[in-house]
Amino acid sequence: MNYSINEIKLDLQAQFDNSADLSVRVFTLKSVLRIQAAVITMEGLVDKEQLSQSVLNPLLSFDYGTKDSAAVSDTVFSSVMASSDVIKLSCADEIVTYITSGFAVLFVDGADELYAVGVQGYSFRGVSEPESEVVQRGSREGFTEPLRVNMSMIRRRMKTPDLKFEQMTVGTDSKTQLMLCYLQSQVSLDLLNKLKNRLNDCKLETVLASGYLSEYLEDKGSGSLFSGVGISERPDTVCGKLTEGRIAVIVDGTPAVMIVPHLFVEEFQSVDDYSNRTYYAAFIRLMKYLSFFVSVFLPGLYVALAQFHPEYFPTWLLINTSESLAKTPFPVTVEVLAITVVYEIMKEAGLRIPKSLGHAVSIVGALVIGDSAVNAGIISASTLMVVATAAICGYVTSPLYPPIMMLRLFFIVVGGFTGLWGITLATAVVLIGMCAKTSLGVPYLSSLSPFSLRRMRDVFIRADWKRLSRHTIRVQKFPETEVRDADRG
Amino acid sequence: MQTEVKFSSKRFLLALLLCACSVILLQNNNLSPNASFSFNAICIASGLAICFLFFLPSLILKKRTDSDVPTLARRYTPKLRIPVAIFYSLYFVYGALYFLLPYIDMFHTKYFPGVTPCLITLLMLICCAYAACKGVNVISRFGIFLFLFALLTNILMFGGSLSELDLGHYGFEFRGDVNSFVQNTLYFVTPSFIAVIFACCSGVTRNFRFRQPVFTLIFTGLKYAAVIFFVRFALGDYAGRQTYPAFVLSRVAHFGPFAGIESFYLALATMSVFMIISLFLCCISRGACTEGNRKCVIIFTVIIFALYVTATYINSVKEILSNPVLLLLLTFAAAVMLPAAYIFVGRKSNAKGN
Repeated sequence: MNYSINEIKLDLQAQFDNSADLSVRVFTLKSVLRIQAAVITMEGLVDKEQLSQSVLNPLLSFDYGTKDSAAVSDTVFSSVMASSDVIKLSCADEIVTYITSGFAVLFVDGADELYAVGVQGYSFRGVSEPESEVVQRGSREGFTEPLRVNMSMIRRRMKTPDLKFEQMTVGTDSKTQLMLCYLQSQVSLDLLNKLKNRLNDCKLETVLASGYLSEYLEDKGSGSLFSGVGISERPDTVCGKLTEGRIAVIVDGTPAVMIVPHLFVEEFQSVDDYSNRTYYAAFIRLMKYLSFFVSVFLPGLYVALAQFHPEYFPTWLLINTSESLAKTPFPVTVEVLAITVVYEIMKEAGLRIPKSLGHAVSIVGALVIGDSAVNAGIISASTLMVVATAAICGYVTSPLYPPIMMLRLFFIVVGGFTGLWGITLATAVVLIGMCAKTSLGVPYLSSLSPFSLRRMRDVFIRADWKRLSRHTIRVQKFPETEVRDADRG
Repeated sequence: MQTEVKFSSKRFLLALLLCACSVILLQNNNLSPNASFSFNAICIASGLAICFLFFLPSLILKKRTDSDVPTLARRYTPKLRIPVAIFYSLYFVYGALYFLLPYIDMFHTKYFPGVTPCLITLLMLICCAYAACKGVNVISRFGIFLFLFALLTNILMFGGSLSELDLGHYGFEFRGDVNSFVQNTLYFVTPSFIAVIFACCSGVTRNFRFRQPVFTLIFTGLKYAAVIFFVRFALGDYAGRQTYPAFVLSRVAHFGPFAGIESFYLALATMSVFMIISLFLCCISRGACTEGNRKCVIIFTVIIFALYVTATYINSVKEILSNPVLLLLLTFAAAVMLPAAYIFVGRKSNAKGN
C-alpha cells in the first residue's frame, strides 16, 4: 500500500481532533522529482535537537537525484538516517502508538514504507533511591517511570541472554506498554501463558499505574485482604525474584514493578537480609514476624482482656489499667477504635499535605491528640500506648500495611464484642482465608503451609549463602502448585 | 482457590490427629472415677485398637483403589449414591452436634457464663461453613498452624502443672472393674469418627502409607494418656468431682505468677471443634454434591443449628445427640460396613471387567 501524506495527515488530525500537540512536518527532498516526505511527532515527547541532527539534517541535505518515491524511501532508510533506533511499521494504525511513545514517524509520499525513529526526549524523573524500600547496604538505584530505563536497569544486573523481555499493550485508550520480564531457563511456560492470558483479558480503557492490573493477575475465588502480586521499586529485588522463576511485569509510566507469583513469606524478606551477617539477618527476620503479630493482634487482645478478662492482667498492671480506664468516658473498645481511626486520619493528612506543613501536623498529633487528650481524661495512657505500639510495628513490614490495618480494626471489633473466644475464631477464619489463597496457582502460604522444611532456610531465618546457593528454589517446584514445569524440548 | 490438587496424606492425617486429640479436651465425667491411671492406660490402648479396626476397611479401600467411599458410590453404585450420601450426611450432622453440645456447654458453664449459647453456636457454625466451602485441602493446611498452637498449649498446660504433680500420694496401682473398663474403653473409641472422615475424603490425598494412621492413633493415645496422667496426679481427687477436668487442669497450671493458661486451652478447644465441624461439613458436601458446594454447606449448617436449638430446649433430643453408644454404632456403619461393602463391590466389578 502506498501512503499519501495528505491522507495520513487528515486521518491523524481527525483522530486527534486537531489536538495542538500533534505535529506533521512536511518538507520537500532535494531531488529532480521534488518528492515530499513527512515527519510526524507529538510535541513535548521528542528531543528536537536529536530529531534535527539524526533525522531532518541528513534527510534534507542528501541529493536523491532522479529516483522515484520507492527508491527514495529505500535510500532514506538504508543510507541517510543517522539514528540507530529505527523500527519499520507494519501498518498505518501503528502510527498513533509510536508517536505517543515519543517516536518520530517518517515516510516518503507515495512510498509503501513507514518508519518510526527513536528520538524520545521527554523529561522524566532521574534514577533515585526508592523511598518505600530503603536499604542500608544494597544498591541505591530504584526504578523510574520510563519503561526502557527500567529495562536497562535489569539488563545491567543480569548479563545473560537468558533474560527475556516480552512487550504487551494494555488499555484500549491509553495503549500502555508493559514488559514481561523473565529468565527463559527458570520460568514455567505454563505460568507465563497463564499470565499472558490474564493480561489479554484485561479490558480496561486506561492503565495509568501497575496497580490497575494487579487485580487482573490475582487468582479467581481467592478474594483476600492479602495481595498475591508483589511490588518492588528495586531492580536488585526484581532480579533476585527472576532467578526463582518468577515473572516481573514492568508497566510504562510507573516505577512499581509487579512480581508474580508472590508469597506471604516474601513480605518479610528484604535486600538487607542477604547483605547482613546470617545471625543478624535471622534476628531481624524474627523481629519482623513478631512486629506483624503485635501490630495485628495487640489492640484486639488488649480490648478483649480489658473488657472481658481483666483477671489475666498481672495485679500491678490491672490496677494501673483499671484506674486509667475508669477515668475515661468511653468503653475501651470505642476508645481503641477511635484512636486507631484518628491515627489513620493523621497519617493520611501527613502524606497528602505539603511538607512545609508536616511539622504542624506532627505537633498537633503529638501534643493535642496525644498528651492533651490523656491529661484531659478523654483517652487513657495505656490505650494510647497500645495503639501507638501497634501502629509502629505495622510499618516494619510496610507492604503488608493495608491488610494489617484492616485486620487490626477487625480484631478490635471482634475482641470488643466477643472477647478472646471471638479472636480465636476470627484468627481461624483469617488463617483459612490465607490458606485458600493462591498466587497464579502457587499457595500463598507456601513454605509454611503446605510446609516444606527445605524451603524454611529462607523463611524465619536466613541460612548462610553456601547453603542458600546449593539449590535455587523455583516457584513451580513448590508443593501443591497448579503450575506445571513444562518441558522446553 | 485451588482445585483438583491432591495433597499430602501426611497432612490430612495430621488434621485427623488434631481432631482425635480434641475429644479428650471436651471430656465431661465420661471416665469412671474408680479406674486408676494404669487401668485407664489399658483402656486407651484397647479403645484405640478398636479405632484402628474401624480404620481398616477405608485403609484397604484407599490402598486398592486410591479412592474414597463417595467417589466409589458414584462409580460402582450410581443408584445407591443418594442413600449413601444421606447416610453420611446424617452421620456427620449427628457427629457435629455430638461435639458442639459439650463444647458450648463447657464454654457456657466454665468460661463465660454470661453468653447466649445459641449466638455462640451460630457464630461458630458460620465460621465452620466458611471453612468448609474452602475444602479439605485448605482445612488441612490450617491444621499445620493448629498443630503448632496445640503443641504450645500442651507444653504450657503440662509444664505449668509439673509443680502440682504428686506421684507418691496416688501411686501407679492397677485398680478398676469390668464396668469401668467398658465405660472407659467406649469413651476412648470416640476418636474413631476420624476413620469416617478418612473414608469420605481420602480420595483427595496422595502418598498414603499404612503407617500414617497407626502413628496418628499412637500419638492420640499418648495425648490422652498425658492428659489423664496430669489430671490424675496434679488434680487428684479434686478432678473426680469436676466437670471438664482438662479445663480445670489448664486453670490450675501456672508458671510462677503467670497463669491464665485456660485461655490457651479454650482457644485450642475452639479451633479443634471448628476444624472437626468444618471437616464434617466438607465430607457432607463431598458425599451429597461436590466438595465446597456452598448451597449444600449452608443447608446442612442451618440443619445443624436448628437441631442444636431443638436440643437446648428439648432434653430428650439432647440426650439422643449426646449418646456415645449411638455415635459408636453409626461410626461402625459409616467406617466399617460401607467401606467393606465397597471393597467387595470393587472386587466384583474388577472381576467382571477382567
